[in-house]
Amino acid sequence: MLSQYMINQLVNGLCQGFIYALIALGFAVIVGIVGLATFTHGEIIMIGAYASYYIFSACGNNLFLGLFASFCASWLVGILVYKLCYEQFLNVPEHISLICTIGFSMLLKNLAQIFFGTEKKPMLDIIDNRIYSLGPVEISKVQIVIMVTVLALSALMMMIFNWTKWGVALRSVSQNREAAALVGINVKQTIMVGNCIGCAMAGVAGMLIGIYYQAIYPTMGATLSMKAFAAATLGGLTSVPLSALGGGILGLIENLGISISSASFRDVFSFGFLIIILIFKPTGFVKRKGVRP
Amino acid sequence: MIDRMKDIYAKHKIAAWLILLAILVTMPMYVSISNMRIVCRIMLYVILAGGLNIINGYCGQLCFGIAGFYCVGSYVQAVLMKTYHVSFWLALIPSGIAAALIGALVALPALRLKGIFLGMITIGFSELVRLIALNWTSVTGGAMGIKGIMAPKFFGIKLGGASKYYYIFLGVVLIYLFCTNRIIRSRVGRAWLSIREDELAAKSLGVDIKRYKILNFMYGSFWAGIAGAVYVAYSSYVDSTYFTLDEGFNVLGMLIIGGQGTLIGPIVGSVVAQVLTEALRVINIWRYVVYAGLIILMMWVRPQGLVGASGSMLAGNKAEKKKAAKGCVEKLERKEA
Repeated sequence: MLSQYMINQLVNGLCQGFIYALIALGFAVIVGIVGLATFTHGEIIMIGAYASYYIFSACGNNLFLGLFASFCASWLVGILVYKLCYEQFLNVPEHISLICTIGFSMLLKNLAQIFFGTEKKPMLDIIDNRIYSLGPVEISKVQIVIMVTVLALSALMMMIFNWTKWGVALRSVSQNREAAALVGINVKQTIMVGNCIGCAMAGVAGMLIGIYYQAIYPTMGATLSMKAFAAATLGGLTSVPLSALGGGILGLIENLGISISSASFRDVFSFGFLIIILIFKPTGFVKRKGVRP
Repeated sequence: MIDRMKDIYAKHKIAAWLILLAILVTMPMYVSISNMRIVCRIMLYVILAGGLNIINGYCGQLCFGIAGFYCVGSYVQAVLMKTYHVSFWLALIPSGIAAALIGALVALPALRLKGIFLGMITIGFSELVRLIALNWTSVTGGAMGIKGIMAPKFFGIKLGGASKYYYIFLGVVLIYLFCTNRIIRSRVGRAWLSIREDELAAKSLGVDIKRYKILNFMYGSFWAGIAGAVYVAYSSYVDSTYFTLDEGFNVLGMLIIGGQGTLIGPIVGSVVAQVLTEALRVINIWRYVVYAGLIILMMWVRPQGLVGASGSMLAGNKAEKKKAAKGCVEKLERKEA
């Protein structure tokens, strides 16, 4: 029989897994579908969190306004990343744009430390912390909001990718850029918007993390982007649903791991998960069909 | 101008090296102690960036977790010296070898991975090592670190302080340059270069990719470990905050600015980074912003770095393309004539 503590940890892990899933989704869109290499994902999470923080402190408790702000801010940063790190390097070896994104992530992190301050900022209480009990399961209102937001956003994204003309264009670009250009797709613009969508997902995830942990700071992104990567490798960086599943699993593993050891080992579990996945199944659990690795 | 300098250098090669060596050896006599500290730091980062250069520059792998190897080397040295009272010189080799073994461990997944996958796994590993060092309190002292590591003795002379310890750094850098120079010109080095330029072609020509990649990681991480080991005795204190991801990116930035795939690249990078650090001390917090901006600028203008291996894969094949285009034009002109 599961104890109450374990059930709580499961719920916490699931909720955290949902946030990781959203980050991993964005990561899978950028790396897997658009076919760019990025190291700025964590910093974009941080930008999204700060954007929502300033909107919340300026305009009061309006969840949708904060969501909109973090979405827009990270979209704009996404455009900047594309212009600085990708546009010139679409036809040269990948490591150049990769190192460029590392430089950009250092830039963002240090600028954030200058402009936002290095100390942890407490996020405002956006959602009153009521706890609902369903039998033995206790779930707080924050957790419900997070789960609903993530589900809605990922459903929206799946709809865009599968049912709109633009989504088809994006997938064709990911398969073959030259051929896509030949049939009249604006390759550069498609890549840019794809990159921005991935970034915007990360920004919203940043806001959710801020709300969940009640603290934001400039270096919060470093390990998060790694966790997103760990989750996304489960789907071979190309499959969006499997990446989301990976995020869920990662959240569960972390919380179950720290419930049997101590909280300082949280990151050890996620990195161990990443390394094990990459050693034994580097292509993830998906069969590739003409998709960029 | 550059051609003339090259001519002069070719004529008086031995004299030039002797003068340089004399300047380096006598340096502590006329450089102030605070400047010697900067020189020591330059030397440290030459070894670190050099180790990374072997992996990233010569073999074309994307290793971003150099801080992990650095961490292993320093902790092994610190524990050997503090807990087991091994002398500095004896402990140097085991700490390098420990880092090399960890490097081999990282190379195993690296055999199957490329690009961002490899970069991420090295970062993950580096963070993992740091977290283990932070949490394994019984051996590493946890967050308190290991204090009071004694400066080494050399024939009875205690090599404490920057101006004396400088000679250890100098010795290690010279040994590093000598060994690496020999290895790069050997069969092994050529195998690494061939893997960097085209892995498939190298494989089809009979280069044992697996063996040489593992060797490459082991050799690169060996020097990172040695750098850590030397640094521990210099600072007499070690804790896990030295080995964050930022430190790894810092070293990577030096390598990128200086130049990948050449021996002199890490030296130039390290000097530029330290001089920048000192020059920008006035605008302290903006230092890293400038640094990061430089990395991006470098990728735009000269992806192989200031003195990097031009005409290689690292330069984004730009030089080759230019050469090829030039060749085509010349051929056409000849035909017309």
